[in-house]
Amino acid sequence: MESGTSVIRVEGARKRYGAVVAVDGVTFEVGRGEIFGLLGPNGAGKTTTVEMLEGLRVPDEGRLQILGLDAVRSAAALKPRIGVALQTPSLYPRLTVAEVVRLFASFYETSRSPEDVIAAMGLGERRHALTKDLSGGQRQRLSVGLALVNDPEIVFLDEPTTGMDPAARRSLWDLVKGLSAAGRTILLTTHSMEEAEELCDRVAIMDHGRILEMGTVDELVSRHFHERTVFFDTIAGADDAALEALPGVVRVRHEDAGHTLLYTSDVAGTIAGLLALADGIGREPGDLGIRRPSLEDVFLELTGRALRD
Amino acid sequence: MGSSTRRLWVLTVANGKSYVRDRSTVFWTLVFPLVFVVLFGSIFSGVGGARTSIGWADLDGTTVSAELSSSPAVAGAFTVTTGSLDGMLQAMRDGRVHAVVVVPRGFGSAVVAVRAGRPPAAPLGVDLYTDPSATQTAATIAGIVGAAVAGFNQSMSGMPPVLKVNARTLQTEGITATAYLVPGILAMALMQLGLFGAIPLVEQRQNLILKRLSATPLRRWTFVSANLATRVGVAIVQAVVLILVAGILFGITVVGSWALLAFCVLLGAMTFVSLGYVVASFAPTEDSASQLVSILQFPLMFLSGIFFAIDAMPAWLQAVARLVPLTYLGDALRQVMVGGVPFAPLPVDIAVLAGLTVVFFGISARYFRWQ
Repeated sequence: MESGTSVIRVEGARKRYGAVVAVDGVTFEVGRGEIFGLLGPNGAGKTTTVEMLEGLRVPDEGRLQILGLDAVRSAAALKPRIGVALQTPSLYPRLTVAEVVRLFASFYETSRSPEDVIAAMGLGERRHALTKDLSGGQRQRLSVGLALVNDPEIVFLDEPTTGMDPAARRSLWDLVKGLSAAGRTILLTTHSMEEAEELCDRVAIMDHGRILEMGTVDELVSRHFHERTVFFDTIAGADDAALEALPGVVRVRHEDAGHTLLYTSDVAGTIAGLLALADGIGREPGDLGIRRPSLEDVFLELTGRALRD
Repeated sequence: MGSSTRRLWVLTVANGKSYVRDRSTVFWTLVFPLVFVVLFGSIFSGVGGARTSIGWADLDGTTVSAELSSSPAVAGAFTVTTGSLDGMLQAMRDGRVHAVVVVPRGFGSAVVAVRAGRPPAAPLGVDLYTDPSATQTAATIAGIVGAAVAGFNQSMSGMPPVLKVNARTLQTEGITATAYLVPGILAMALMQLGLFGAIPLVEQRQNLILKRLSATPLRRWTFVSANLATRVGVAIVQAVVLILVAGILFGITVVGSWALLAFCVLLGAMTFVSLGYVVASFAPTEDSASQLVSILQFPLMFLSGIFFAIDAMPAWLQAVARLVPLTYLGDALRQVMVGGVPFAPLPVDIAVLAGLTVVFFGISARYFRWQ
């Protein structure tokens, strides 16, 4: 990332709450128009990192810059230029969708038309509903809509698709991609591998307040895995030692859904060996297939645990 | 309109909508006090049933003067109690009669003289004492007594008037129970407004609305101003509604200055709104805020002098009432609205309320958390 186009720059950010170190020396940069994802489990320090950039928390150490300005000292100057969707949608319960959007629009010198924002978030039919009567997904969409009401240069979305159904997620992703195409920069946090893979230009994997790895999804995968993955329904009777002895296999892993994964440098040899092994114990492997290792595998490799836990 | 004025306006309107749509707060701040006024006002004044009563002090003590008090024009309109002048004036001060008519000495002999064709040089004066704080009642009584006197004069046809009415005023100290209660209920309504204002504020912090607002260019003073503006607006509505209802149903009119009344209403609203901010500073959740409000509201209500005169309380309760802020607001509003015996001089009430407001704002500025 060339420093000339960086619109977010974080160097050595640290934040502690009492004895707990929430963010422990985080450094990254985000370029203009990029969709950058902070990926990690709950408690990894993603939200604290984002809230320091939003001017909602003061870092103990480190330098945080947005659009060339200090995120702490110039917070007031930055507020009109950023959009924020907190992790929990924070809405006036007894105002309608249209009233909340108009209220937030009034906070800015210049803003998009409230009607456009409501339409873009697909809330046209619910415009006169009180926000307390909205579904979780609708509330989430309204919260994202409020982040866009001032047509910000930088948009912070903290877990934006939590609670959304698949169709709503998909349409939010399209919206975010559209923002990026229009030159807006998006920093989002997520614990969804799918969201990171589908949406983010670059990803930083966070755990225990640190960034473990950063790059495009392809870079991360190829950095950690030269192998491919052969997966199949776990065969009773085929023990790990026998599987590890198959041609090309470097590692065996069992997934919760009754799947076994073989990381291999020789896909053809592994499959031939597997079929022979299964035949030998009188079985046939179900749901047999090949895939490239995913971000999930990278996460597991880095942290030793699955992100879904 | 400048953009910060517009922001203040939009936020105030949004707060107002949130208030109106919050049924329990509307109930406690507006409906409940109104029910109180109507209910207790009706109980104490017996709407529609009771007749106006007047005291009749007959200094003449002749049969002629007795005829006047039992004439249909008087006895048909009033319940008449007769007695000595001092006794009747005391009865009026105590609120047992609404007015006192004094028939002058020499009335009987004057009538006898008129009937004999010897009119007096000047008409004899009938003193009529009314209470200026009960304007409407006073006017009604003055009208009826005036008509009775005019009727009497006419019955002496062809002669110059024998009697005339001398209007006198008597500031009653013992005001009627309803008149005592109405300012107290207005004080209660203002207290409810302030205390219940704590709940939406805690709700906004708990729902992270305050945090979300911190990420916008909205300034905190704008937020606080809008919050105050909404509460003041509701306070004005409360005062107007209660005063109108008390005036229409029970004939209670404001004796003091409207400007002073408006000042006391605003000051009282500020005192209890700032007390609400203190509650919001220490209540972590919406539930704990409503519990704290209920714990505060009933003792404040019943240990203050808003419902019962403080001198009528036992000594220990008087000592408690002295410590309750609502006592001072009730006292100030009572003095301005209906008169009566003050608990403390008005400047003292105002100073106590202003001082508490400063203290409450100070505490909340120190302890209120936005996140």
